[in-house]
Amino acid sequence: MIADRALEALLSRGADMAYCSARTEETREFCAEAGEFTLYRTIFDRSLSLTAFKNGRKGGIGINSFDDAAIDRAAEDCLAAAASGIADEAWALAPEASVRSFLQGAPEPDMDRFFFRLRELLDTIKARYPLVVVEQLSAEHTTERELYKNTNGAAFETLSGLYALDISFSGHEGGESSSFFDFSIVFDNLDRPFVELGTLARDLADAERQIHAEPVDGKFTGTILLHPNCFGSLLYGIAANFTSDGAILEGSSVWRDKLGQKVADERLTVSVAPLDSRIVCGERYTCEGFISEDYDLIRDGRLESFMLSLYTANKTGLPRAKNSDGCFIVKPGDRPLEEIIRGIKRGLIVGRFSGGEPGAGGDFSGVAKNSYLVRNGEIVRAVSETMISGNLADLLNSVEAISSETACDGMSALPWIAFGGVTISGK
Amino acid sequence: MLFDILGARAAAFPEGMQAELRAQFNSARSVTLISGNLTTNSRSEISGVSARCYKNGVYGFSSMAELSPAAAETVLKTAADNASFMDGHIRKGAPPLPGLNKARVNKAADCRDAEQKVYIDFLRELDGLIAGKYKRLTGRRVAVRADSMEKLLYTSEGSRAHTSLPRCYVYVLMSAETKSSMPVEVFKPFGGFGSFEDNFSDPALLLEGIDDYYGKLMDKCSGVYPEAGLKTCVLDGGLAGMLAHEAVGHTVEADLVMGGSVAGGCLNMQVASEKVSMTDFAFAALGKPAPLPVYADDEGVPAADVELIRDGVLVGYLNSRETARRFGMEPGGNARAYMFSDEPLIRMRNTAILPGRDRLEDMIASVDDGYYLLDTNNGQADTTGEFMFGISLGYEIRKGKLGRAILDTTISGVAFEMLKTVDMVSGNMTWLSSGFCQKKQPMPVGLGGPELRCRVTIGGR
Repeated sequence: MIADRALEALLSRGADMAYCSARTEETREFCAEAGEFTLYRTIFDRSLSLTAFKNGRKGGIGINSFDDAAIDRAAEDCLAAAASGIADEAWALAPEASVRSFLQGAPEPDMDRFFFRLRELLDTIKARYPLVVVEQLSAEHTTERELYKNTNGAAFETLSGLYALDISFSGHEGGESSSFFDFSIVFDNLDRPFVELGTLARDLADAERQIHAEPVDGKFTGTILLHPNCFGSLLYGIAANFTSDGAILEGSSVWRDKLGQKVADERLTVSVAPLDSRIVCGERYTCEGFISEDYDLIRDGRLESFMLSLYTANKTGLPRAKNSDGCFIVKPGDRPLEEIIRGIKRGLIVGRFSGGEPGAGGDFSGVAKNSYLVRNGEIVRAVSETMISGNLADLLNSVEAISSETACDGMSALPWIAFGGVTISGK
Repeated sequence: MLFDILGARAAAFPEGMQAELRAQFNSARSVTLISGNLTTNSRSEISGVSARCYKNGVYGFSSMAELSPAAAETVLKTAADNASFMDGHIRKGAPPLPGLNKARVNKAADCRDAEQKVYIDFLRELDGLIAGKYKRLTGRRVAVRADSMEKLLYTSEGSRAHTSLPRCYVYVLMSAETKSSMPVEVFKPFGGFGSFEDNFSDPALLLEGIDDYYGKLMDKCSGVYPEAGLKTCVLDGGLAGMLAHEAVGHTVEADLVMGGSVAGGCLNMQVASEKVSMTDFAFAALGKPAPLPVYADDEGVPAADVELIRDGVLVGYLNSRETARRFGMEPGGNARAYMFSDEPLIRMRNTAILPGRDRLEDMIASVDDGYYLLDTNNGQADTTGEFMFGISLGYEIRKGKLGRAILDTTISGVAFEMLKTVDMVSGNMTWLSSGFCQKKQPMPVGLGGPELRCRVTIGGR
């Protein structure tokens, strides 16, 4: 067993604590450009990561060779890196010694059916959405075998497989075009035609409806109704700026003293839930050796947890997060999407946010892409060259409505959500 | 240095196909100190072989995480099988790719690999200097990243290339708070092509640049939100480079042109003011080595500069061999892969707007009400040419003078409209090379330009 061999190599060289992970992967991928298949790719990959602690100092190395000489050399380098480090008592591993096996997703691909579904998708797009051009498509199946071991006795063996589809497209007519749409999803079966997955059919229709777009006139404060994917990208910004290891260690998080306090509208509950049935191949254990559990980041508007590793938890005295995944589940609301749109006096439906990295304080600004102007409950037209700006922390306290519908992409399950008080500016 | 395990396998190229066989080694060394805590201390070394075969208009590709003659034979056979699978299903019936000038390149630098201790000791000393000198900081992060890719390529048409691309950077991020306790940050990279030893010797030598950025951070602590709307702005050279890369470079990648990018209908048309010219440089630029030199691509094409905009007219696309045939152009060596397991994609190399003759001082003095925008933290562009850049550092310009710093914001525009508003171009040149371009795979790229005066939409309150 490669992980045992690597762990032994570290211990025999004086490591006090260590963990190792050996992984093999087989990936098969189809690619298309401009709506035509171009490439079939097969990848046989493997990786070995070694992390060692000696005298409170940590070092790590990753290689992709499993032969004895390479493992010995990597162990030497890993300990040398650790010896060069800074002693820190906060480094630790899970004290419990769990031994588990996991079987996830669809380890055995059906490539003939996969290819059939992809051809069906491209044919369906040509037939139903004649104004849409598929710019790039990549679709892959990956089978992964992983063995994790640490010096506290944790041992995890995983066999998993998933399909992934990533497709970018835009609408074109008469020399004009929509902005590009990027749709990504992971799944573990081929039961349904791909056009029925997630929000793809809706997005394809939007690409055709948004070919002729114009900027918003002037500047106003209004409502933004975010597509689930767009909301997801803002959630990642919130996680990075307010709840991550870096933000807490640096002290830059505006939520650093808010644990247990209200940080959002009370209708908002955000979970990080790799065990949720809608998540495909979610995390089952952390690199520290803990079994992953779901947890609430925000419950009924209150900050329930930061997204901290064991190291940062030990460093700060704050509790560690119960997993290190990033799969967000947001509790749906009680209003249908169409009813929410009818309730918007003036604002945008935003499909994608193309913006700069939010500032440490949460200020954001960027371009509203794949978006519509809404006035008095009616979609007026598609918009281009229109910017939105606000503050992420303020935004969470400005919820106007949460949809009863959710969109699942295998990595998250999110509703549409409307926020008020956002600066919207055009030309 | 890669040992040549491929040469003897070149005879095994499959009949009736055009094929590439590549061995590759990627390394990365990372160290991060966050407010004095060593949070990242890692190294990685990834190697393997890959093959790609072209048959009747489709490709098959395969890779293995192993550097051996047996692995080379396996990936060649699997890639050929994959090409036959696709050809059997798709039946495009395209002819073989046109012949090319064979690359004969041996430009693999013998890059000295520093021990982890060297990086850590340097960063600890630098972090100590920063902590001791700049008392108003509320947080600081210093990091080293050294990465390199070494490639050995054989093609069935006789190209052979052995190349390497090492680079090393020290990143400094400093944060402080405004009077209303809102955190603000500035970020400064140092370094470039080559090893750590090539780029760094004494941490104290970085203090001049850090002093400058600490001053800018203090300015930002009293910063104001910009006024949202269409404004006259002076863009720093790094931002001009980002504009060249994101807003123009991607739209002229021929695979995206085929996907419907705005550049498709603009060849030989005026897309910018006559003051704007732009080139994707291969290995030398403006009489100097390019920031990240590329001598041959992963299709075996010798790298050459590709002129994209000449005096405001769009004159070229970035091509692979296949798209070059489609558009009747010469491939310039833009098909690049990041890891051994990646297929070549059309990528930029060192993309820049060329310098003009104006002076920065005159450009600022000419603006009555606008902004001087210095740093960007990210950028993205649409195939429509609509772009946005995050602005992490900038100043007001009022009546020709620099005013207050501004808080983080975003600028946007439509590239071929905004470039027509460029009416002043400085004689300076700034290159950036510390980031990755993302397009299915990451890729190290250089980007650069002079200061530009133009009209862009700025986000704000």
